[in-house]
Amino acid sequence: MAAADTPSATLRHHDLCSRGIRLARKMRSDVTDLLDIYVERQGLDASISVAAVDGVPTAAVERWAEQTGTQRLLDNLAAYRAFRTLLAQMLEEQRELLGDTDAELGPALAAMLLQVSAFVYHLEELLELESRGAPAEEGSEPPAPPRLSLFEQKLRGLRVLRELAQWAVRSVRDLRQLSKHGPGSGAALGLPESQ
Amino acid sequence: MSSQSCVHPCFGELPARPDEFARSAPAGPGFGFISSIPMDHKWGSSPRCWRGWCSAHLRRSLLLSFSVIGFDGCLGEKEGRAGTDVPNDGWCGLKLPDPSDGVQPIVGNQKNPRDFDDKLGTPPGLRTGGEMANPVPSACCVVLAAVVVVYAQRHSQQDSHIQYERVGADVTMKCGSMDWDAAVTWTANGTDIDDSHLNGSYLILKNVDLTQSGQYSCYEGSSWHLKYQTYLRVGVPPKEPVLMCRSNNYPKGFYCSWHLPSPTYIPNSFNISVIHGTREMVCEKDIFPKNRCHIRYLQLFSTVKYKVTLTVTNALGKNSTTLTFDEFAIVKPDPPESVVAKPVPNNPRRLEVSWQNPSSWPDPESFPLKFFLRYRPLILDQWQHVELSDGTSHTITDAYAGKEYIIQVAAKDNDIGTWSDWSVAVHATPWTEEPKHLTTEVQITETTSTSTSSFMPPPTTKICDKGAGVGSGAVAVCWTAGLVLAAYGVLFI
Repeated sequence: MAAADTPSATLRHHDLCSRGIRLARKMRSDVTDLLDIYVERQGLDASISVAAVDGVPTAAVERWAEQTGTQRLLDNLAAYRAFRTLLAQMLEEQRELLGDTDAELGPALAAMLLQVSAFVYHLEELLELESRGAPAEEGSEPPAPPRLSLFEQKLRGLRVLRELAQWAVRSVRDLRQLSKHGPGSGAALGLPESQ
Repeated sequence: MSSQSCVHPCFGELPARPDEFARSAPAGPGFGFISSIPMDHKWGSSPRCWRGWCSAHLRRSLLLSFSVIGFDGCLGEKEGRAGTDVPNDGWCGLKLPDPSDGVQPIVGNQKNPRDFDDKLGTPPGLRTGGEMANPVPSACCVVLAAVVVVYAQRHSQQDSHIQYERVGADVTMKCGSMDWDAAVTWTANGTDIDDSHLNGSYLILKNVDLTQSGQYSCYEGSSWHLKYQTYLRVGVPPKEPVLMCRSNNYPKGFYCSWHLPSPTYIPNSFNISVIHGTREMVCEKDIFPKNRCHIRYLQLFSTVKYKVTLTVTNALGKNSTTLTFDEFAIVKPDPPESVVAKPVPNNPRRLEVSWQNPSSWPDPESFPLKFFLRYRPLILDQWQHVELSDGTSHTITDAYAGKEYIIQVAAKDNDIGTWSDWSVAVHATPWTEEPKHLTTEVQITETTSTSTSSFMPPPTTKICDKGAGVGSGAVAVCWTAGLVLAAYGVLFI
């Protein structure tokens, strides 16, 4: 904990939070564009409602304001690690389906996968600074999903991108809450009235 | 019959009157009492009080109603009215017992208070009408009104209800249990309806319009016994309501407000339901305004949409509308507050603008707003725009010198939702240099003219004139001549 309290640790913490916020904002902007491409290329209706899918992290949370800083980081890390796996699967499925003929969706998915991977790394750094250390990745990986039909794959992909968009907004808010407090506090960062 | 007097703040001491509305014949030329109940907010907005002999209105009136005397000076009904249906310029009188109790009418319903008083022989000090100097009601008069209310409640035997009909409908009213061929008299708002609208004892109103709303009463033949009374309300079924939902206090919650695109002219009730996924949420009605309710967020960052359905119902029909939206889409802050624009000293092209976050935004630290500032000189139509990602102040550096500017600011959450409306506009003019004062030449010219009042300059002396435009050398000579003349004048005085 002593390391987390040094001025350099505080600066690094603030720097990581600020850069993390910028990364999350960029992700959100890009995933919004990716959603448009995905819906069009997959022939889906943009307004279609997709139920929760196993293995896709849901951004929705109750009592968000009452979460501790550490909890926020852990939730974010688990989510983006899952998104990294899911996006890799989606990319693989796209390549199997369309091969090299896909000039738009594939590259966009790949770019998003890169951003998510970078964000995972960022979150791990923040957790290190919190002196918590990032949990081992093996324990957080979701189990291999069952083989889905083509349509089910499309719907799951839509769900993944929508939840990723929500998570990106949530991550901006989480990191802002984190940046209000120094590293290693792990304190609850609540609003005046619980949300 | 015992009596009690009442000192009324409007009219002073009132004459004796019976203190119970009994079944006895009137003791004098007018059985009645003074209805001097001042209007208060329950009955209307006008603090007028009216007086009159209620003996003209020996008709049984509605429960909780007051028998309202037929004064033309009052807008509104001439029969008893109840509760909030009393129009704003209405007034109340006091009910009299039914003529079947043994009390006979003295004077029928009159068109105006003067006729009323003339026919009745109202003493001059008690003639009807007048404005009240003191709006404080007389306690004894109010007590009397309460007695009347109780009496009316206990003794009213007739059906009375509200009947709703659509504009354009044909309405048939039956006179209670009276046979079709019974002799009856119908009145509308106290005015007799002529027989052309009757089919036997039934009242027929064809193609009703809004002006035909009012109280309809049916009296039996010559006994003038009230047999039926109804309040007809003409209106229309509701059109599809207009519904709007917005979050100006994210992440606390959101509110929905609604209105009808056109009036129905009859009472409406509104019911709102809010569904989030499988969960039904409570929309707490605001006290003011009445057409609004608010919902607290139970979850944040949900992809599940909210579905809000508003149903409006009245006696003639119902209509509804549904809005579906997600959490982020309806976020719209209120405009920034306390916008101030000031000139910057010694900077003719700058204006300093500052503002505050809207007070309704609960946590600007955790959910910061960004701002959009627009400004233009009043003489131009084109706005300049600046987007500011943080901070609540900005310095305009390219203002036109000396020109008055109009400035406004809008706000938006940094990541979600839409821009607020523009703030209240503020005006400011950049700093300008003060013009220098002209002192020396003017003062000397004035001195010369005042000191030579008794001195006539020699005709060869040249009097300096600034407008002569003769050049700086000649001006110096003129100054010297002026000084000499002034000195000469002082010596002679």
